[in-house]
Amino acid sequence: MSDHAFIGKRMPRVDSRTKVMGKAKYTADLKLPGMLVGKVLRSPLAHARILRIDTTKAESLPGVKAVVTGKDTEGVKWGVFAYTRDQQFIQTEKVRYIGDEVAGIAAVDEETALKALDLIDVEYEELPAVFDPMEAMVSETELIHEDFPDNINIHVNIDTGNVDENFAKAHYIREDTFVAAEESYFHAEPYAVVARFDHEECLEIWCPNGGPHMKSKPLSNAFKIPLHKVKVRKIAIGGAFGGRSEICPADYICALLAKKTNHPVKIVFTREENTIATRQGHSMITTHKTGVDKNGQVLARETTCYMDGGAYSSTGPIATSVPFLSMEQAYRMESVRYNGYRVYTNKPIRGMIRVHGRGFAVGLDTQLDLIAEQLGLDPVEMRLRNSRQPGEYTSTKSYVGSCAMDETIHKAVETSNWKEKFGNLPAYHGIGIGTNSVQTGFPMGIRGGSQSFIKFNEDGEATVMSGVVDNGQGNDNMLVQIAAEELGLLPEDIHLVSADTETTSSDPGSYSQVSTFVGGQAVMVAAKNCRKKLFDVASKILKVEPDTLVAKNRMIFVKDDPEKSISIKKVVRVSLLNFNSVNAEGGYWPKVDMQREWVKNPYGQMCEAFSFGTTIVEVKVDPETGQVEVLNATACQDVGKALNPLVLEGQFEGSIAMGGQGGMLTEYHEWKDGRCLNSTMLDYKVPLACDMPEISNIIVESIDPKGPYGAKEAGMSIAMSAAQAYAAAVSNAIGVPMDSFPLTPDKILAAIKEKKAQETEA
Amino acid sequence: MEKISITLDVNGKLCELMVAPNDTLLEVLRDDLDLTGSKESCGEGACGSCTVHIDGKPVRSCLTLALEAEGSKIKTVEGLAKGDQLTDLQESFINHGAVQCGFCTPGMLMSADALLNENPHPDRTEVRKALAGNICRCTGYAKIVDAVAHASHPHEGCPDCRPYGRSESKGEE
Repeated sequence: MSDHAFIGKRMPRVDSRTKVMGKAKYTADLKLPGMLVGKVLRSPLAHARILRIDTTKAESLPGVKAVVTGKDTEGVKWGVFAYTRDQQFIQTEKVRYIGDEVAGIAAVDEETALKALDLIDVEYEELPAVFDPMEAMVSETELIHEDFPDNINIHVNIDTGNVDENFAKAHYIREDTFVAAEESYFHAEPYAVVARFDHEECLEIWCPNGGPHMKSKPLSNAFKIPLHKVKVRKIAIGGAFGGRSEICPADYICALLAKKTNHPVKIVFTREENTIATRQGHSMITTHKTGVDKNGQVLARETTCYMDGGAYSSTGPIATSVPFLSMEQAYRMESVRYNGYRVYTNKPIRGMIRVHGRGFAVGLDTQLDLIAEQLGLDPVEMRLRNSRQPGEYTSTKSYVGSCAMDETIHKAVETSNWKEKFGNLPAYHGIGIGTNSVQTGFPMGIRGGSQSFIKFNEDGEATVMSGVVDNGQGNDNMLVQIAAEELGLLPEDIHLVSADTETTSSDPGSYSQVSTFVGGQAVMVAAKNCRKKLFDVASKILKVEPDTLVAKNRMIFVKDDPEKSISIKKVVRVSLLNFNSVNAEGGYWPKVDMQREWVKNPYGQMCEAFSFGTTIVEVKVDPETGQVEVLNATACQDVGKALNPLVLEGQFEGSIAMGGQGGMLTEYHEWKDGRCLNSTMLDYKVPLACDMPEISNIIVESIDPKGPYGAKEAGMSIAMSAAQAYAAAVSNAIGVPMDSFPLTPDKILAAIKEKKAQETEA
Repeated sequence: MEKISITLDVNGKLCELMVAPNDTLLEVLRDDLDLTGSKESCGEGACGSCTVHIDGKPVRSCLTLALEAEGSKIKTVEGLAKGDQLTDLQESFINHGAVQCGFCTPGMLMSADALLNENPHPDRTEVRKALAGNICRCTGYAKIVDAVAHASHPHEGCPDCRPYGRSESKGEE
């Protein structure tokens, strides 16, 4: 394995050069001839019936080219699943949150478009609104969606059996409830979309996306045109973090305006729109009840989670399941019962986010620490006694091939000096550990696999086609690295055509940590197939067997006799002269249980591999202000195989920032009657450079038997475990287990005050 | 609104323009001069994505009126490299993996470039302070801080200071 030219090397990314020169084009940078400015009219009310929309004044304003409302949409509804199709792209009957789409406008410039928005006259009948999931379930007022009783959007029930019997056998049981507020992505790039219909009536569209093929299908459905007429184009993307996986109503509105005006249209969201009208993380209330034996091994666990889903389903069934799945992958449990409820409220829509459920994951680890304390165990020992082992099945029957969870714990403990520090730090200093696991994909039906095409050009360079999209995490480089490795070329010899639905095959998208495992593997297979064609030709020229050949540095040579060689360029040209082009395809479809379904049948093989991560954090709390200073963080993950440590470390560090530093200390939304009060970057507090601790990265390689070169995924297990470690460290520092997240200074001060009062009483 | 004729000195070129009194420098750079490297992320001076230099100082172009910039030397991210020849700072960003989605990168580079012009050998704390007005959501800032701190001279023990796959000569000047 060590003789790889590029795999495993610290390779700077191929897309960096255009980005540091300011040349990379993002959607808002595009300019097309005759392009109009699009704007969306949004609901000012949280719950209301639309009685009348009068667009005549707006339409007669000079410079306005088109106005669209729900009447133009034929009532098309979007939902990730057939049973969650509940969101119209423009509302026709009622609005369900402040920000819901009511109309769209295209005008010659922004000033005119904004003026026209004010001229649309909408008459609403305001309806009682609900903003709390617990209230929404018992509310007597009009349902948010009439076909979902009690406003329950999704109920996931998982029961492995024997839960009550095992609780009866337990040596110690405790039950705790944890709450967490909503958080937002705050992508650097506000959402934007450019759309046009070309002379062949094909829809051409550019927008940030988590998978171009996830955009093209709903657009094809909505416009009732075949998939080959929807061309989602590649464009630089300014971050996704789970929030750009689905179609956005603005995509449809922009395309509709383009169709109606026969002009290209561009819509660029304001920062506020990006916060309220894309997706947010779910707020949640989670109760964990855990029973352990004398040794601290978990015999039974019952978890009930209520998630505030906002106004529409989004990825509801997935979002309701993933926090549970991460738990069951990370920790062994004899038996478990899970009830997850995603509840509709009149708030913005919640979807997938980098940390799946702060209240859930962090609550579970906080409880483990409390049980450990009760049993006189070190938190590290508590985790080692319950950690996932390779060769096991999860509670819902997924086989875990590779797993180095224990190694991540041991290495993080060693690097962080846990043993010297835990229990021995000065007052208001604390150290905490978190461990977690994420999946590389899930059963996605016909879109679960990826296929790649590779063609050699006569100059000996290659074009690689793949549906994988790069949101910023480095997927383009990953594909080029793999192709260069297998084809024996240099990275600069590879031209990547990706994330374009006209030229690439279906692909699952860059969410659920699947890009390397599935899309990268597809490129690897295609490149191996292409190399075989090169070797067949080269073997005849060199008069050796094809299996004695290797390709490296633009040359093909005999492994044991490197003098015997020929350039790849020459092989390609010889092949062309013999009427054979050098090209190949290759695909990868993970072997998952296609019968597994989020609600109906949540059992069976989820994906082929799981990553495992441990984070340890040391903090200092100021007891006068409640401010937390993070002294250092240690991030250790079993990634399977590090294809590019430079890129991987960046994923770890970004995960510490979003999952731990921001996610657990400062990031949350504030509300008044369904209106988000901190939707801008001035008001929502994301971590700055001066806030961040020094981070120690540790890469553990378990070499997954199914992953490309043994790779799994990079960074998500750190984002999850970082949240847990931050909370544990703060709880350790102040001597109070925290149960409400994020851990803002007011909560920390209140906890310190209460503890002091209790101590005085005692 | 009535437009006014102004001349802006951008990346060493004089540009004659008609601008509205309320046009921001960022709007004029992006919309009128096609210099889309400078980004709008927050539009309220919080995130630093629109940072450009005005007479060598890093400035938020989203909070600066185009009219105010007349008579000053304006430099954008497009003005850093000389043709295809990147600056050491740009090379350092590439080699240290400081670029992920890249949307904050132009603003980061302009803030960092201004710092290095004043202080060619900043320590990590000085770098963090100088970049405190630039928000990045991808990197956790660690590799950006490395890239800036190591830009002027290679750092002993840093695996990323020698440019990948290139000659040893880099980093000497």
